[in-house]
Amino acid sequence: MMSRNQFVFGFGLAVSLFAGWVLFPRALYSARPQPVEFRHKTHAEKSGISDCSQCHAFRDDGSYAGLPSIDTCAGCHSERIGTSAAEATLVDHYIKPGQETPWLVYSRQPANVWFSHAVHVKRGGLACTECHGSYGESDQARLYQVNRISGYSRDIWGHSMSRLRRKPGDGMKMSDCEDCHRRHGVDVGCLGCHQ
Amino acid sequence: MSARYGMVIDLDRCTGCGSCMVSCAAENNVPVLPKASARTGITPMLVRRVSNHMAGADHREVFFPILCMHCEHETPCVRVCPQQAVEVDQATGIVMQMPQRCLGCRYCMTACPYHARYFNWWDPGWPSGMEKSLNPGVAVRMRGVVEKCNLCHARLHAAKERAAAAGKREIDPTDYVPACVEACPTQAIRFGDLAEKNDPVSEEAKSPDAFRLLVRLGTEPKVYYKSKEKWVRALAQSNGGRSMEAEHV
Amino acid sequence: MKVTRRDLFVWGAGAAAGLVFSPVPWKLLDDTSIWSQNWPWIPQPARSPVEVKQSFCSLCPQGCALKVRMAGGWPIGVAGVSTSPVTRGALCPLGYGAHQLNWHPRRLQAVRHKESVSSWGAAQTAFAKACGEGPVIVIDGYPGRAASSILEAFAEKRGSYRVALSPELGALAPYERWSGVPANALGYDLENARTIVSGAPMLDGWGSPGRFTRLWAESAAGAKDPQLRLIQIEDSFSRTGSRAWQSVRIRSGSESALAAGLAHVLLDERLVPARGPIPRLTLADAAAQAGISEDAIRELARTMVERRPTLVISNDENPQVAALNVLLAATGARGGIVRRTKGTRHLPADAVNLNARAILIDAKVPWNFTPETDAEIFRFAAWDDGTSKSDWLLPAPGFLEELTDIPAAPTSAIETYAVAPALSKPRFEVQSAAQFLGNLDPSLGTTEKLIHGRCNGLFRERKGTLYGAARVPLEKFDSVQKVEEQLWKGAIWTGDPPSVGGWRCELKEWPQDPEKLRSRDWASEWPAAVLPPLAVKLYQESTLREAPERRNA
Repeated sequence: MMSRNQFVFGFGLAVSLFAGWVLFPRALYSARPQPVEFRHKTHAEKSGISDCSQCHAFRDDGSYAGLPSIDTCAGCHSERIGTSAAEATLVDHYIKPGQETPWLVYSRQPANVWFSHAVHVKRGGLACTECHGSYGESDQARLYQVNRISGYSRDIWGHSMSRLRRKPGDGMKMSDCEDCHRRHGVDVGCLGCHQ
Repeated sequence: MSARYGMVIDLDRCTGCGSCMVSCAAENNVPVLPKASARTGITPMLVRRVSNHMAGADHREVFFPILCMHCEHETPCVRVCPQQAVEVDQATGIVMQMPQRCLGCRYCMTACPYHARYFNWWDPGWPSGMEKSLNPGVAVRMRGVVEKCNLCHARLHAAKERAAAAGKREIDPTDYVPACVEACPTQAIRFGDLAEKNDPVSEEAKSPDAFRLLVRLGTEPKVYYKSKEKWVRALAQSNGGRSMEAEHV
Repeated sequence: MKVTRRDLFVWGAGAAAGLVFSPVPWKLLDDTSIWSQNWPWIPQPARSPVEVKQSFCSLCPQGCALKVRMAGGWPIGVAGVSTSPVTRGALCPLGYGAHQLNWHPRRLQAVRHKESVSSWGAAQTAFAKACGEGPVIVIDGYPGRAASSILEAFAEKRGSYRVALSPELGALAPYERWSGVPANALGYDLENARTIVSGAPMLDGWGSPGRFTRLWAESAAGAKDPQLRLIQIEDSFSRTGSRAWQSVRIRSGSESALAAGLAHVLLDERLVPARGPIPRLTLADAAAQAGISEDAIRELARTMVERRPTLVISNDENPQVAALNVLLAATGARGGIVRRTKGTRHLPADAVNLNARAILIDAKVPWNFTPETDAEIFRFAAWDDGTSKSDWLLPAPGFLEELTDIPAAPTSAIETYAVAPALSKPRFEVQSAAQFLGNLDPSLGTTEKLIHGRCNGLFRERKGTLYGAARVPLEKFDSVQKVEEQLWKGAIWTGDPPSVGGWRCELKEWPQDPEKLRSRDWASEWPAAVLPPLAVKLYQESTLREAPERRNA
């Protein structure tokens, strides 16, 4: 039989565990939708885009352009294709006025990080999925969650609060970079990745 | 890749114009703060004016560009840092300062025999809008951290990226030149790989006119100076930075 | 069931134990430390790709070639262009910080009329009214540009066009008086001189930064017996003096006396072919005035001619110093003063009292230029340090904000031509003086059209070489479009090397100093209205330079 003290202690324990694991993450992150509801899967299936680099390209000088500019979208969407609300937003708000879509970048690193896609992809031979997971196959642009204190995207810490059993692409902290560098025996020093 | 980047600065060619100081600050997003003085300002590249203390016709002056010497051996700042915020990079020999890791104790500034380290006494700031003229390759430091010359690491990053994009493992040596070297109107500052035998800079470092500051400390600086004038060489050997400091105050 | 105080403590202990096993403390620690690494109030550069473009600096008449790094539509850094035959990759220390000038808090952002904010419309009306009431003088500080010819064409019809001489151009003015060849047609053949006797800051802001400094570095620096001897004569120990082969110090303001003394020795000892004219001042008096011995002057004169060609370069319009070059036969000679082009004679802006109804001052006129006049002054400027006494202050395009062409630098021995395209957009309404006058009188044309015409002229003449990505003789181009395309991308056209001779100086008697000889202190030539913020490091955060004095402050 549990004593009264044990019960009260356990109750306190349970309350703070619940608060810590369930309520805290909800309070810590605020969520925002992407400006346009984008579907990777639709693009892959309907327009036959199979290679990430068709939209996420390198510039001539070797730097990585990241998210495609509005001109890339306008290549196909100069006029509305289909009748969805997202299509209307894209064409009327961004493509026609020639304004860049203010995408919220899940894997945005802070200003003091220097990360070269060219070094990792072209020289290191890493596949996109090794860091970004299978996001390219997703059917829906998920909500962008931002940490209210640090201002970082949730993807940097990863979606699991415990940081255990994460899938590739879920978690991009410095320790994650270091783990991979250690596994591959690549030592670049602090300013190898910081600027 | 195991380079040992270094410099040879020909003091006979230095006219003390200050182009290196300005271009360094521009490249590395170093702010100019109204309250800063010669003691509290941030000048990772600093040109000092030194004389032979003689009067009349025997009076001679020389300009000494002082930057981080990138000491190869027993690097003083690395040894005292409690935060491991400084390290000698294995691949390049660059003494790398990580301002984000620095806690501002300034042991390294005390330890540095060359006074080549600077403290951010204030939050960096620019007049409204001027932040648009900052170099995107270099993060702005914050108040309370130490900074110094990192041999324009943003330019090294860019060169690495260009090399990787072209499918090369090694950077093209002409693709990585620090801002002060590029800016010097008399080409007094030369930059190269001291470990590379055929590099003109490693050959110049062996010239009889070449010398380093405070070699007796055994820190093996990778910045060499060069002068045909005896008094200049003697000055650097006997008193090192100290007599320069006296001139400066 | 009654809740006791003990229950509360036990509950609290349980909660605390649970907290340790929850992510709260660890995540908060992590997030707050990240937050403290990225203080939100510290500005960070924008994330933009960097592009490299070429243009030219038009802040002063040297017109140096620029490699401009651009991000997000704004210049983020400048460097010299190593393929430029003029600057050979160099810039002055002010140039390296010039990309921040447009953001300077002293940027003139709106039209100002007598201390209060006005409008372009009001300025236009006031100027048009002034034009109708009396003569108008237009003052230019950077003659030879396409914009200059607009200013000149306007001024010819309504008054006069005058030029505020740069110090380098001023030093050539005596030869214009003696030979009739315009000063802006002359240049120094430094490359072929073996001895240069100078009172100018040759290594510290004189001429194109890359030209003499590189020449000196390659053929003089540090050598005991250099190919090029630089003899510096000054009243103080300047940075040029500290680097010169020989440095001679004389009393302040005694340059003319020393020149007369040197002329005596050169003539008496037959060190030069010339036989006159002989200065009135005796050698003894010259020595006394200069504060050095007669023997020192004799020695100096002999050293001067030991290695020829010898060239004397003055700091100002001093005619006696200029006369030395005539004695030395350095006028119209190899290694001396050469004529690079036909040139145009201009009235100087500061020679006489300017009587006019209105004076329009172009933005390229040095900020500290203030005409002695009662006229209404329309002053164009990109920066305003608060010291102007002009009636109207009109915001001009800033650094790299306007299209201009770049004529040869004032001391150049060869003709050059380049086009400096605008690389960034002004953030408020600005007008150059040429645009302003073009609005009043559309028949004057636009800078762009005039530049097009000049390119056409170059193409038709088929002379010289275009230094772009490669060196191509102009005659190899088959269309003007291709020439223009190259020039707009940063190429420089250079004319053929100067021919020796073609002009002579007649000097019947030894010249006298003019009544007002402006002495020039180069340190005070430094401040335009404002300095690039980073240049402040050179005197505020180091002791490399003296803080420039504020003349009008």
